[in-house]
Amino acid sequence: MKITRSGYAGIAFTLVVFLLLPAVANGQWVKVFTSAACFTLVTAGIAFMYSRLGMVSLGQVALMGVGGWVMLRMNHGFDFPFEINLAIAATVTMLFGWILALPALKMRGLYLALITLMAAGGIEVVLSTYRFPNGGSGFWGVLPSVAAPFRRPVIAESDSAYLQYVIVVVAIGFALIDLHRRAAPGRAWAMIRRSEAAALASGINVVYYKAWAFGLSGLLAGLGGALLAGSLGLLDSATFRASESIMLFALAVVGGSRYWLGAVIAGLLYRVLPALFNDWGWDADLTLVIFGVALLHAIITAPEGISGQIIALLSRKKRDTT
Amino acid sequence: MIELKNLNVKFGGVVALDDISATFSAPVSGIIGPNGAGKTTTMNVISGFLASSGKISFEGEDITALTAYQRTRWGLRRSFQHEQIADDLSVRDNLRVILDGISGGASEKRADLNRALKFIDFSQRGDTLAASLNSYERRLVDIARCLVGRPKVIMFDEPCGGLTQEETTHLGDLILQIGELTGAITLVIDHDVELIKRICTQTLVIDFGKRIAFGETAKVLEDPKVQAAYLGIEEVA
Repeated sequence: MKITRSGYAGIAFTLVVFLLLPAVANGQWVKVFTSAACFTLVTAGIAFMYSRLGMVSLGQVALMGVGGWVMLRMNHGFDFPFEINLAIAATVTMLFGWILALPALKMRGLYLALITLMAAGGIEVVLSTYRFPNGGSGFWGVLPSVAAPFRRPVIAESDSAYLQYVIVVVAIGFALIDLHRRAAPGRAWAMIRRSEAAALASGINVVYYKAWAFGLSGLLAGLGGALLAGSLGLLDSATFRASESIMLFALAVVGGSRYWLGAVIAGLLYRVLPALFNDWGWDADLTLVIFGVALLHAIITAPEGISGQIIALLSRKKRDTT
Repeated sequence: MIELKNLNVKFGGVVALDDISATFSAPVSGIIGPNGAGKTTTMNVISGFLASSGKISFEGEDITALTAYQRTRWGLRRSFQHEQIADDLSVRDNLRVILDGISGGASEKRADLNRALKFIDFSQRGDTLAASLNSYERRLVDIARCLVGRPKVIMFDEPCGGLTQEETTHLGDLILQIGELTGAITLVIDHDVELIKRICTQTLVIDFGKRIAFGETAKVLEDPKVQAAYLGIEEVA
């Protein structure tokens, strides 16, 4: 399969961050970048649904919470290796996403977005009521105070190695999306985006391929949540509020939903920028103002987001030099 | 041979199709009528986009129960008044998406796809992104999409809308060759009577959702009822 220029750039970027980030980042910053990588993976799922199918899902961070919950539940309930728990968390989230999305799949546009937002609200209520498992007994597994230890992958027990581990999984996630884009599902999604009539006239089972997209996006959200659980060892329901799903969608638009770089920018804006503000002694909530301005900028002048602008700039420079 | 039997469609109180029946057996047939007569509604019913009472069968095989996408996989192809090709796919992928849902070996599909590209003279431009095509090229790709995957019935909804006379002539010539290339029956909706006269052996004329004439094109166009309803010539009492 032919690797595109964007693909080569993605591989190079992965290698650079894989080698450089753990070397230059220390202490808390390793965790900040790990968290940014987890959210990048989730954003990749949001962005491909939006750019390839024109579908707006406002429930992906909530699904991430489901992935995190299953991961913690598996970690504290069983002795399986990290990877098995990760696969189970991703699969359960994918199925969960499907069940939530099925009634919505015959809908389009605003209605679909509203249903996913309602689902996110439902998940928020459950997670904030029952909280995340931390080694307690019973189905919900919540201890009142201290938490039981979390088992990370055998090959990535330190924070730095775990960051590298997450970077590799995120790269695999991007590759998975790209493989889909080039195969029958990608073609079907492009026709659905053109119009459902065009898709039907192309022999495409629209509900099936929309469900497939939701499944893939749910899988990525589940992976992101499970990896975040592995980074922090315990999770807080405030991370997965419905409003966070809206915020991440907005940042996917700001970053640019057509390119992998857009998801990376969204992940960095969402996690690294507030950490930087904290580091400088500024109020992290100021980032919300910046996000708002960036969203307006994207909507008014840069429909392909910051990544689209960067790519346009680079191709113009290349044209000028040739 | 495709047979339409007693097709009826109502939108609320409006009767869009009133007991339409016709049997198309010619390689290329036409459906004509004034604006709002029910031509596109007929096409939407045949392709499964609209529910109707009645029956649609091809060579005796009843396809009424199939859903829209199942009819495409079965062998029905259609174009729309506004072409519906995906901008972010290449020309080749705009055709391949139809083959994705149809059984067959990879080499057979490749040959099928190349044959369709050659038909519209796009053999060298299969990898071009659809977004970069002009409106006539997009129309040609829309036609090529209808040729892949062993089609049985192909329907074009105003394929020459907005085209120049030269382009219309070229497209008409291509449509005439489709039967020989694919073995499919072609139905064409168009306002251009000259085009219909030139390429369609049989023609169905609809007005206010009713069949007002059906048969050999030349005879149908001479029918006083057709001339009154469609061509604006007063019916001789």
